[in-house]
Amino acid sequence: MTLKKVLISLSVLLLTTGAIYLIYNTIPQEFNSAGINPPETIYNQAKDNSNIVKPCSNTHPEWRPAQVIEDVTINAAPDCEPDNPYEVATSVKGTNNVSMGTLMQTDFAQDALTMGEDLDNDGDPDVIHIKLEVVELNGSSPDGNFLINTYDIAPGIQPGLWVYAPKSRGMAVKNFNSLVANPLLRAPSPVIRVEQGDKVYITLENTHYLPHTIHLHGVDHPWMTSKGEDNDGMEEHSVFPGKSHTYEIQPRHVGTMLYHCHVQTAQHFMMGLGGMFIVEANEPNNWLQTFNVGAGQVRHPSNAVKKTYTQEYDLHYQSIDKRLARIVQDSNDPRLVAQHMARDYNITESFENYFLLNGHSFPYTLRDSMIIADDNEDIKLHIANFQRSAIGLHIHGHKATITALDGVDLAASQQITRDVLDIATAQRNDVHLKTQNDGLHSYGPGLWMFHDHTPTGTTTDGVEPGGNMAILAYKSLLDEQGMPKMHEHLFDQVFDKDYYAKNLAVWTEGPFGALLGDAGLVSPNYLNLILFGLAIGVLIGLLVLAILMIKRKSKS
Amino acid sequence: MKQFLIGLVMFSVFQTVFAMEHGGMLMDEKGMIMNANTDRLPRDCPQISENVDITIHAGQQYAEKFTGKMFAFDTQEWDVKPCAKINITFINDDQIRHQLMIHGLPGYLYPEGMFHLELNGAGQLQASLILPSQKKTYLVHCELPQHMEKGMKAQLKVDGGDGDLPSIPGISAPIKADLYKTDWSQLAWATIIISILIGVSFVLITIIYADKLTSLADKITTKINPKK
Repeated sequence: MTLKKVLISLSVLLLTTGAIYLIYNTIPQEFNSAGINPPETIYNQAKDNSNIVKPCSNTHPEWRPAQVIEDVTINAAPDCEPDNPYEVATSVKGTNNVSMGTLMQTDFAQDALTMGEDLDNDGDPDVIHIKLEVVELNGSSPDGNFLINTYDIAPGIQPGLWVYAPKSRGMAVKNFNSLVANPLLRAPSPVIRVEQGDKVYITLENTHYLPHTIHLHGVDHPWMTSKGEDNDGMEEHSVFPGKSHTYEIQPRHVGTMLYHCHVQTAQHFMMGLGGMFIVEANEPNNWLQTFNVGAGQVRHPSNAVKKTYTQEYDLHYQSIDKRLARIVQDSNDPRLVAQHMARDYNITESFENYFLLNGHSFPYTLRDSMIIADDNEDIKLHIANFQRSAIGLHIHGHKATITALDGVDLAASQQITRDVLDIATAQRNDVHLKTQNDGLHSYGPGLWMFHDHTPTGTTTDGVEPGGNMAILAYKSLLDEQGMPKMHEHLFDQVFDKDYYAKNLAVWTEGPFGALLGDAGLVSPNYLNLILFGLAIGVLIGLLVLAILMIKRKSKS
Repeated sequence: MKQFLIGLVMFSVFQTVFAMEHGGMLMDEKGMIMNANTDRLPRDCPQISENVDITIHAGQQYAEKFTGKMFAFDTQEWDVKPCAKINITFINDDQIRHQLMIHGLPGYLYPEGMFHLELNGAGQLQASLILPSQKKTYLVHCELPQHMEKGMKAQLKVDGGDGDLPSIPGISAPIKADLYKTDWSQLAWATIIISILIGVSFVLITIIYADKLTSLADKITTKINPKK
């Protein structure tokens, strides 16, 4: 009887330890080795055609040719998304000097840009009233899980952004059934151009839910307004929601400068509240394009620029920290946004994830931020760095000459010709880009890429090709919609939201698709599965037996 | 100088042009009125049932009575009879632009179903509209970026309306609600601890008096079912 009990106890013990040992060694794994034959390649895991974006929607082909509107000469813009010529004409003449018909073709408010008196009697207005509003793009809504006033920086990429926008009218979205922001509401904050000596009044009408200011970085301005109020846009003189404040300037010095918000500066600057402010030389009959919405090509350059250059471009480099950008999407209550941004978010422990040129990342930079050239052109570039990090701008196939730094002209002997332009945060370079095929300034016609050579700069949240890559395109190599030729395969890949959502392998097409595409799944080790199942079964059996025995004992 | 003079002349000409009506739109320096309607009756309305005068203020200050908002109208809800004519006085008390838009109106009277007042800054506009007879709740809001989201949202009910719209300040809850940190006060902790003690003692009492409870249960069963 006792021997029987001992034997039973021993075998139960052995069975239990054996089962536990087996289970421990055969636990099914998430990853398994494949043995001799690795799994097949699988193609395009995300086969959702609705996520494919048309490279060029070609919405306004009639905006591309050179034209005259309201007596304003507007240069041709052969790219896919040319600037609205009515917007250009209104930016030149002022909202008070164009017809109702022209104004209705834009989204400007009627008092967005008022041009006044000609103080020096040289044929152009010298008293300029500019009104700016503050706009949240890709912001949150309490009415559901969607973003509102959306603005895609790249296929499927919608980070929260704040921008200054010329005072607009009507709906912020394209129509009542749309969540897409109207064309005036976009990144970057618009480039503002005024003439040297102009009396400029910039009114910040704070339509936003947090306080902001405008600080005129590098622009000649008195520290106080004529009324004795703040004129430097400092934090202690914030313009609160629903309030407005007018900054007064009469710049004596010509050059490429900046304007930006100086409230909670680190965060507000990184949210996008900064733009270029360019002071042009005073010339007779010099009607300037006050707003260059979205930066890029200046379709109505100043008289001084036209003397030396055939074309003019504004290049605004900007970066976004996705964690900062998400704050305005996760919370709606202004108190929570303020708390998360000022105290929970820590910019000293942050990264830059998105890199934008003129408000877009590649491939959307190809739609409106290419430099489009013929042979033997002289092109003026205004380059400003609004990133947190420095940029090292490289233009393939060209060496360009720096003519001014931070708005101060360089003497001929100081001008440097080079192929990497290093521009620290908030610095500006004025650059003379020549397309003479002389083996130094240009190596001839091409679709030459230009981008920040810092390795992060050509990625979108780490996905390459992305970031601020764009193309210096010679006209003969563009198609009729202004898109670069010979890029069909690349376009199939990068105009797909799934690519930037990291759902697609980089190399899936052509003969190397099977070699470099996504690896498929491996089948499990079935012997292990059987042993695992048996051991679990034995354990459960023992458990049931034990319970039954305890019950019987207590009964007897 | 010559150009300047021409400019001046042009300016005055355009001033008059601007005040003209432009396809249902009236626009000047101050703001614009779109699709106002003083006399065209909706198809389902034989006549105007009532004349309602409404004054609506828009401004940052009106959000102060609500938590977690930044812009608002001074009123969030109006209720009118079917076929009412509403005469709106829209006042902007801010130094920035505000709008008053009403959506979902019949398209044959109001293009795109929309009635729209816009003030470029502080000021006042007046316009009327006639509502159809349908029992319905209309969205009233300011369509500037982030203004509706941050509180400038109201509703106009005809005949009591067909329900509340979401996230009307003080009236309805949002669909996507924000999360707030919990207040773990001493009272909250005390409530939890006491609840736990009650629960534990209940179990203890049951075990200690198990015998008495079984006999009690037996008595009850015999009373209910005496045959046993």
